[in-house]
Amino acid sequence: MKAKEMERVMLLMFPDAPLERDETGLTGAQWSIIVPASSIRDAAKAFDGAGFFLESLTALDFEDTFELVYHFNYYEPGSRVVVRAPCGHDQVPPSICDVYRGAIWLEREVHDFFGIKFSGNPDMRPLLLPEDADYHPLRKTFGKVSAYHKRKMIYG
Amino acid sequence: MAEQDITQASQRVFSLNLGPQHPSTHGVLRVLLDLDGEYIVKADPVIGYGHRGHEKMGENRQYKQFLPNTSRMDYLSGMLFNHGFVLAVEKLVGIEVPERAKYIRVIASELNRISSHLLWFGTYLLDLGGFTPFLYTFDDREQILDILDSVSGSRLTYSYCRFGGVTSDIDSKFIDMTRAFLKRMESRWTDYDKLVSKNIIFIHRTRGVGVIDRELARQYGVTGPNLRACGVGFDVRRSEPYEVYDRLDFEVPTGSKGDALDRYLVRFSEMQQSCRIIDQALEHLPGGEFIAKKVPQKLAPPKGELYFAFESARGLCAYYLVSDGGPDPYRCHIRVPSFGNLNVLNDVLPGTLVADSISILGSIDVVIPEIDR
Repeated sequence: MKAKEMERVMLLMFPDAPLERDETGLTGAQWSIIVPASSIRDAAKAFDGAGFFLESLTALDFEDTFELVYHFNYYEPGSRVVVRAPCGHDQVPPSICDVYRGAIWLEREVHDFFGIKFSGNPDMRPLLLPEDADYHPLRKTFGKVSAYHKRKMIYG
Repeated sequence: MAEQDITQASQRVFSLNLGPQHPSTHGVLRVLLDLDGEYIVKADPVIGYGHRGHEKMGENRQYKQFLPNTSRMDYLSGMLFNHGFVLAVEKLVGIEVPERAKYIRVIASELNRISSHLLWFGTYLLDLGGFTPFLYTFDDREQILDILDSVSGSRLTYSYCRFGGVTSDIDSKFIDMTRAFLKRMESRWTDYDKLVSKNIIFIHRTRGVGVIDRELARQYGVTGPNLRACGVGFDVRRSEPYEVYDRLDFEVPTGSKGDALDRYLVRFSEMQQSCRIIDQALEHLPGGEFIAKKVPQKLAPPKGELYFAFESARGLCAYYLVSDGGPDPYRCHIRVPSFGNLNVLNDVLPGTLVADSISILGSIDVVIPEIDR
């Protein structure tokens, strides 16, 4: 029910944003919405106000862009929703760590692996990598990779 | 490191390095504590000592080759992680699993959940200074390891599940051993209850210690027994039932205050519920195949993404796989429960006593290599 409620809220906030409902059930989420990286704080605040928790935060590396993927969930069956924020390779997205306190670590992890800096996060030290690490291992330009695609190759 | 201003005695802050090699940190965790006398002013958990790059490994090898990695992330509940990955890939590729295999996996997973909780139970009491329960729980846990060893060939990192089923069928010996274990545990719960749950020293070390309330848990994404201890009955086996959990009758135990004692009690009843699940699954175990006949050697997943959540021994765990249609995933992200459960220490530890920090750390039951991945 919460997911349905939030769908209305999100569409009011981002009338032009592409919202997708999942027919196959593969994504494990009720719907996903793509918002600009600069508005991710507003979206997070709305979810925080509705009582959701931030389940997972990760990024995807495409040839043309990064994409931040936020999974929000509520303590009820079928409440998971996804907020995606494309973020250019040089872009600095805003941090949501003052909305969700747990996001400090999640953003540090994304910074470790992808080198995405979050503006407003007070602590951008490496979390899982050594403190002097100057590489970002989950970038497709690092180490052995099997493929490096543009975003539309996978998501159409 | 210590910042000291001798003119203001009450403002003196002393830094203490807890870990990385400390008996209570279970894995390699370092916590930088800033102390004012015996009280913690600031806590900064330092992790990453066990980082192996599982997510990168997931990306540059085929789904099948990543299978052994899964049980090495959280080595105490390897079967559950293994099970979850297999379910995720089966869902992505669309493999039908025989009924018998589903039941076998549930039995194996729940056995593993009990063994994980038993290990936590023993070592937590050990951290608090009680040596005897440790010997009892390890004796019980050994029974489970023998049962799982008899069918999978390993004691910790099982890799027992396969796409479409399991590696080998369970036989009457396995069933007899499991039944004997369930019988044995019936009297054990009473023993533990008398020995630990009603022990006044234990209660004083845990009651009101390290309270994680609902709001704090939500802020940090705490899940599993730690979340249920503060009264939220959220369990993935209930909210998004997979395998045959929707056909089995079990309760989701919850606490009320969210302190260390509640977390203990929730895990304690969870072990009993797991026994109930195993009992029912053995009762209803159907005949037939233990692995699907036609599982393609080369998996051909469609383009797109998959997010599959399951309940590990420590909480909500999820595999996030992005497929480009090729034989290996484009992105393989694992959402691990201990991450949020440890993260919350940033807020829980300040204001508590150093001695309590050991109790709190033990009570949230983290496995550090799972966070480090």
